[in-house]
Amino acid sequence: MKKELEHKFVTELESNQNIVHKVCSLYTNDRDSHNDLFQEITIQLWKAYPKFRGDAKFSTWMYRVALNTAITLYRKSKRRVQTQDYESVIFKIKADEYDDTQEQQLKLMYNAVKQLGDIDKALVFLYLEDKDYSEIASTLGITEVNARVKMNRIKNKLRTILNP
Amino acid sequence: MMDELELLKKDWQKQEQGLPKLSYDQIYKMIWKKSSSLVKWIFYISIVEFLFWITISFIPLGNKGVDLPEANFILIINRVLTITQFVIIIYFMFQFYQNYKKISVTDSARDLMKKIIATRKTVMRYVWFNLGLFAVTMIIVFTEVLVLNPPPELAERIANSDSSLLVWLALGVGLLAAIMFFGLLIWLFFCLLYGLLLKRLTLNYKELKRLEV
Repeated sequence: MKKELEHKFVTELESNQNIVHKVCSLYTNDRDSHNDLFQEITIQLWKAYPKFRGDAKFSTWMYRVALNTAITLYRKSKRRVQTQDYESVIFKIKADEYDDTQEQQLKLMYNAVKQLGDIDKALVFLYLEDKDYSEIASTLGITEVNARVKMNRIKNKLRTILNP
Repeated sequence: MMDELELLKKDWQKQEQGLPKLSYDQIYKMIWKKSSSLVKWIFYISIVEFLFWITISFIPLGNKGVDLPEANFILIINRVLTITQFVIIIYFMFQFYQNYKKISVTDSARDLMKKIIATRKTVMRYVWFNLGLFAVTMIIVFTEVLVLNPPPELAERIANSDSSLLVWLALGVGLLAAIMFFGLLIWLFFCLLYGLLLKRLTLNYKELKRLEV
């Protein structure tokens, strides 16, 4: 029974691991922290898994646990964006796919997102993952209206970061 | 600007090929590792705090060799205090456990933070209670030693003093200073400890809460 649960869990996480990696790369700045956070999220997911009822999609459920771990539970917080020496694992755009300006623009944009606060990052992340405002709101525990207002403020904030 | 975020969004899905890929075995190994989450840290520190104050309460405070009739009164107060203390410790531990159990990683971000803060507050109330109790105990011991069973030299000095009121005043101030010093020390220690642990959480929680206004 337990073995079965383990197998089911690891299989599901293996095929959905991208979500966790994306959260990790948004909230950490070096490979060690990335792996560290990935591990902590995995542990938290596994601990919560017996209560996962399957009335939500596994991936939907993962967003919550992953973000909660990154924002609140993860302890090592040496994650200021001071060092740019680490090329974020997430943003390896193939040069031939874009022209230079576009690639440059995307990189700047991604760096700007990484400079946001913990909560703002979570909002942007869910937005980029194409979640609707009701899901964003319930993941964070705020109202839908406030999620929209907040998102607009973040867009302004990003504009300021990009054009100081 | 709007367009840039849209651009990032469009590109977002394409990035997946650049992400690390862990194997089944690598993930399987991870689920057996120990968590080092904030909640776990708070849990351990709280246990240490409980143990610390329980230990303190076992340190015998001098009420030996007092056989004046007034001493009985002090003994009774001491006993009542000890019993109250244990009832309250059990109450706090129960509350702490209840709050701790409610913490769930599948809650919304805001609820999760709220519950962690609530758990923390239980322990903080417990610390305040102990500081208060500490002060009361100090006063009792002080009264006991100085009033009921004073060391001969001190009794003599008080008796010989021109203004014994002044001596008492000085002793009183000394006692108060001692209580405040220890209180401050312990308070500082916990502030530092939890300040470090909970700074980020408190900030994030405030930000989410501010949104609701």
